[in-house]
Amino acid sequence: MREFLLLIRSEEEPKANLSPEQMQQHIEKIGGYLKKLTEEGRMKSAQPLEMKGTMLSYKNGQIVDGPYNETKEIISGYYHLLAKDLDEAIAIAKQDPRFDEGIWRMEVRPIKHVEGIN
Amino acid sequence: MNNPNFTTSNELTSHFFRNEYGKLVSVITGYLGNAYVETAEDIVQETLLKATEHWEMKGIPENPKAWLYTTAKNLTLNVLKRKKYQRDYESLANQKPEMDETGFFSDELIEDSQLKMMFSCCHPSISENSQIALILKILSGFSISEIANAFFSNEETINKRLVRGRLQLRKIKIDLSQKFDVDKRLEAVLKTIYLLFNEGYFPANKNQVIRFDLCLEAIRLARLLEESTVVGNKTDCSALLALMYFNASRFASRVSDVGEIIDLKEQNRSKWDSKLIQTGMWYLDKITLTKTITKYNILATISANHCIAETYKKTNWAQILSLYDQLIILEDSPITQLNRSVALAEVKGTQVAISTLETLGEESDIDNYFLYHFTLAELYKANKAFAKARFAYNQALHLAKNPRDKELLKKKLDELVLISPSQLS
Repeated sequence: MREFLLLIRSEEEPKANLSPEQMQQHIEKIGGYLKKLTEEGRMKSAQPLEMKGTMLSYKNGQIVDGPYNETKEIISGYYHLLAKDLDEAIAIAKQDPRFDEGIWRMEVRPIKHVEGIN
Repeated sequence: MNNPNFTTSNELTSHFFRNEYGKLVSVITGYLGNAYVETAEDIVQETLLKATEHWEMKGIPENPKAWLYTTAKNLTLNVLKRKKYQRDYESLANQKPEMDETGFFSDELIEDSQLKMMFSCCHPSISENSQIALILKILSGFSISEIANAFFSNEETINKRLVRGRLQLRKIKIDLSQKFDVDKRLEAVLKTIYLLFNEGYFPANKNQVIRFDLCLEAIRLARLLEESTVVGNKTDCSALLALMYFNASRFASRVSDVGEIIDLKEQNRSKWDSKLIQTGMWYLDKITLTKTITKYNILATISANHCIAETYKKTNWAQILSLYDQLIILEDSPITQLNRSVALAEVKGTQVAISTLETLGEESDIDNYFLYHFTLAELYKANKAFAKARFAYNQALHLAKNPRDKELLKKKLDELVLISPSQLS
């Protein structure tokens, strides 16, 4: 099993315009998906990220706040999971019910692992 | 493993978000004032959004209600601290932080605020259209697009109704401690709830679920009134609840698998929901001892008669007819006359019913209503007057607006063609 980091990206907040009923359905759908992955022992961690925070850069010899991304896209959460290979991780990511609502992007990245060193 | 919540499985009760939305908006509007109802709506939408962000990843907490109330309380206090409210609500903002969320959103306050909101939304100064839109948006937590969907309307129209309604809300002050005021205004509230129920009761092909939700919402709101301590005379609340439970029991049998509407005559009675019928009977029993006969009382008893009848033919039509006769004394409207004619046909024969309806058509403007022609057509057909039946079905088809109704009428016309030639031979 290899480790993967799945970064959930969206522009602004796709859930902001959902109705209360749709929000509840969203929680129940995603919850069911994560519960299944947790029970299978694949999900090591799933966390939402606050919409606030900062971007630190090294510029002209010092650390500064910013610059921020040019686009409005923001990482709103991540999954840390186990899969056989990249293909399987992608297959798992595609099953995330949030894609039913469109407007989401997900970055699937294998966590680097070098035999004998890590 | 840092997802402990997924190992326990807390679940949300159905429509939890929607119901909590109504409670929270009502209470927060109480703190901010009616003029800021939209701010309250925004606060609660943000509360639910925060909950969604956390719960989708971390699972549903042990006590989801307390989670929402704490978040909503903090957001409300932040708003109260902002300048534009400070002059009026300074003392409130200063005194509330010590209150925990159970005090901020106490059961008593939730009940009172919801009732106050219900009476405000149904105030006679607000148009009927806006009343229903306000109730659904504020008390029932429907989104604008969900309301538009349920009413075959568009978001712009619904939003206009809400904007106009909110403007009126600013001027309304309801004092629930005045029993006289409450009972006087109750009629208008019940009327709006019944309208809401009827909006949901007409089945549609596409949004069947959301329309049944409207019926359930109407029932939930009526129960708030029936169970409240501020309403003095609850006869009409109980009667309306009985009526709505009886009608709701037939919901599943009223539409075929392909979405066509099914007449009471042809419904599969085994599909009627006996639990809902029992609940209806329980409410009807509560008011059997009251002496006053009201509209909802009569309508509920008529519906009960249908619920307990084994078949359409075995229905106690004589009693239903006498109930309609009583109803006409209270409220003589062409619609009531039209409904009465169905019972009249069963008791006194189709010819009597036809003559009554023909006279009614000449004396009122009910002949602009497609159901008038539809009812007449059915009676003509039963009387084997096929040419007249065809003409009446066509009139109904011409007047019907809803595609679903048009489809049913076309089907009826086709059936007529199949029957009538054999009658000639």
